[in-house]
Amino acid sequence: MLNIKNLQATIDNKHILRGLNLNIKPGEVHAIMGPNGSGKSTLANVLSGKNGYDIKGEIKYNGVSLSKLSTEERAQKGIFLAFQYPLEIPGVNTNTFLKTSLNSVRKAQGEKELDTLTFLKLIKEKASELGIDEKFLSRQLNVGFSGGEKKKNEILQMKLLQPKLSILDETDSGLDIDALRIVADGVNSYKSKENAFLIITHYQRLLDYIKPDYVHVLSNGRIIKTGDADLGVQLEKTGYSNIV
Amino acid sequence: MKQNYDFKIDKIKDLTSEEISLRKKNLDLFYQTGFPNKKDEDWKFSDLNSILSNNFNKIANNDFLPREKEFKIIDEFEHNFISLFNGKLISKDFSYEEKNKILIKNFDYKDNLVLDSKNSLYFLNNALATGGFSLEISKNYKLKKPLVVYNNFSNSLKEKIVNYKNSIILNENSELNLINYINNSSKENFMANILESIKVKKDSSLNNILINNSKCNCYFYKYIKSDLEKNSNFENYLLSSGLKFNKLDIEINLNEENSNSSVFSALNLINKEHQEIKTRINHNAPNCNSYQKVKNVLNDESKGVYQGKIFVKNISQKTDAYQLSKALILNDAAEFDAKPELEIYADDVKCSHGSTSGSIDLNSIHYLKSRGIPEKEAYQMLINGFLCEILEKLSEGKIKNFLKEKLERQINGY
Repeated sequence: MLNIKNLQATIDNKHILRGLNLNIKPGEVHAIMGPNGSGKSTLANVLSGKNGYDIKGEIKYNGVSLSKLSTEERAQKGIFLAFQYPLEIPGVNTNTFLKTSLNSVRKAQGEKELDTLTFLKLIKEKASELGIDEKFLSRQLNVGFSGGEKKKNEILQMKLLQPKLSILDETDSGLDIDALRIVADGVNSYKSKENAFLIITHYQRLLDYIKPDYVHVLSNGRIIKTGDADLGVQLEKTGYSNIV
Repeated sequence: MKQNYDFKIDKIKDLTSEEISLRKKNLDLFYQTGFPNKKDEDWKFSDLNSILSNNFNKIANNDFLPREKEFKIIDEFEHNFISLFNGKLISKDFSYEEKNKILIKNFDYKDNLVLDSKNSLYFLNNALATGGFSLEISKNYKLKKPLVVYNNFSNSLKEKIVNYKNSIILNENSELNLINYINNSSKENFMANILESIKVKKDSSLNNILINNSKCNCYFYKYIKSDLEKNSNFENYLLSSGLKFNKLDIEINLNEENSNSSVFSALNLINKEHQEIKTRINHNAPNCNSYQKVKNVLNDESKGVYQGKIFVKNISQKTDAYQLSKALILNDAAEFDAKPELEIYADDVKCSHGSTSGSIDLNSIHYLKSRGIPEKEAYQMLINGFLCEILEKLSEGKIKNFLKEKLERQINGY
């Protein structure tokens, strides 16, 4: 599904990614761990098509070069990034945003756009699965939401858009235990043979709930070690300094 | 511009010789300066004389009555209405209201509205005004439905100026939601110069909304002088995008204790559109509040101006006055000028002002795009969110939705 070959990314003359290789197949859950400044968020940004990076190397998504696709096209083709810091958008109603987003994706995929009533029924259902109070949906997007509420809102968007590749950028940061469990349940219930996850995290604790097939250690812009779920557990005990 | 004026008082019918001489005097006063230009401090950001010179070959006062009487009634909410064509009161409908509670008639020029303005457009209006209305709401009467004033302008106003005066009085403990609806879609250049006096008496409440329906080549000027009595409330919502030029000049006099006023404005300007909001809030009594929030989005070569003055008299203790202007500038050729002014002579007051201008937040655009929303739509969503915020306080749900939809159309293109 995703094939990254020798990816290099530079921003403001700083080399962040220095030859990253990664292959993700449908149905797999990959975790990327690594110390601060190793390039984890840059990888997420680059995959989402954020401007400002000078990129070399190759990223193929289902055989298509990502560099040819705009941010919105990537989303429409099933790449989803749960932001580390979801943005607050004053004046934009959460429901309006969600409906516009879903219908943009549906339209691009050649599906019929949902009318307001059908949409509201759907979103109500999805929100209740994540324990999100309906009142949030009529508020301004992320404005005044707590850290946990913002992250839950990201997972809600994921479940609504039904992406093929979900990238979770430090979705566990700022979550209390209960919220962490809800978010993890949200991910686990969406996992299937067709879709894949790339989970970026500092800590093992999210991986206690979402079991990865592969754990990669990112350091200085490269993946320096790959293992199974046990690698994460080991890192939690020994820290990065023994590996890096 | 001066050599191209074609202003004739004798085009106006049924004037007494006394009126004619008064109007001539005013026309002479206008001729002394002509249309306001940037040398006048109040017009330094909006040089009307040069704007008109660039867009009009000549300018004459309107002398014929409109033939059209048809216009499209708003069907989104139930309302009373009065309709003006080129300023003249043509029809009215107050079928939702009790009889004898509302007095509506043609403006009587013998009443001679004095607004103490030195502005040359005021003199021009005094010289040439015809039409307009007087509206008076009875004591203790709260209108059941809003009142829409359809300001229709006919398509035959090429290089004409329409001048009229209105008077609105809300007597004690009355209530009115007023929607001034500017309606014209001709491609002809014309100008409207409107003077309005508003009196909000004790315990009364007026919501004053101004909205422009479609893109038009109108050069619009409106001067509102409002006087508020004790415990009264006066809220303004200004949504005039789409006019070629617009200056809304609003004076609010908080003359007695515990009165409140607000001015909210949301404008999305494109091409070479030029709009100015100018306010003067006079806190003439203690314990009054005033609130202003002016938002502008500037595209292309458009220009937005906000001149907001708060004056606090020495006796006006416990004044709470606030003004904020925010502008999003989307093009290097666009311009926004803000001139906040505070003049405070009392010592126990809360007065604050702020002004920001900047470009759109690209991280927010990226966030919306990452959810599959196309770039153009993402921009529209952010602009919409930025401007719609000023409607939050409006409690009338149906009017709020109507205004939101209109605003969206103003943003997304008519």
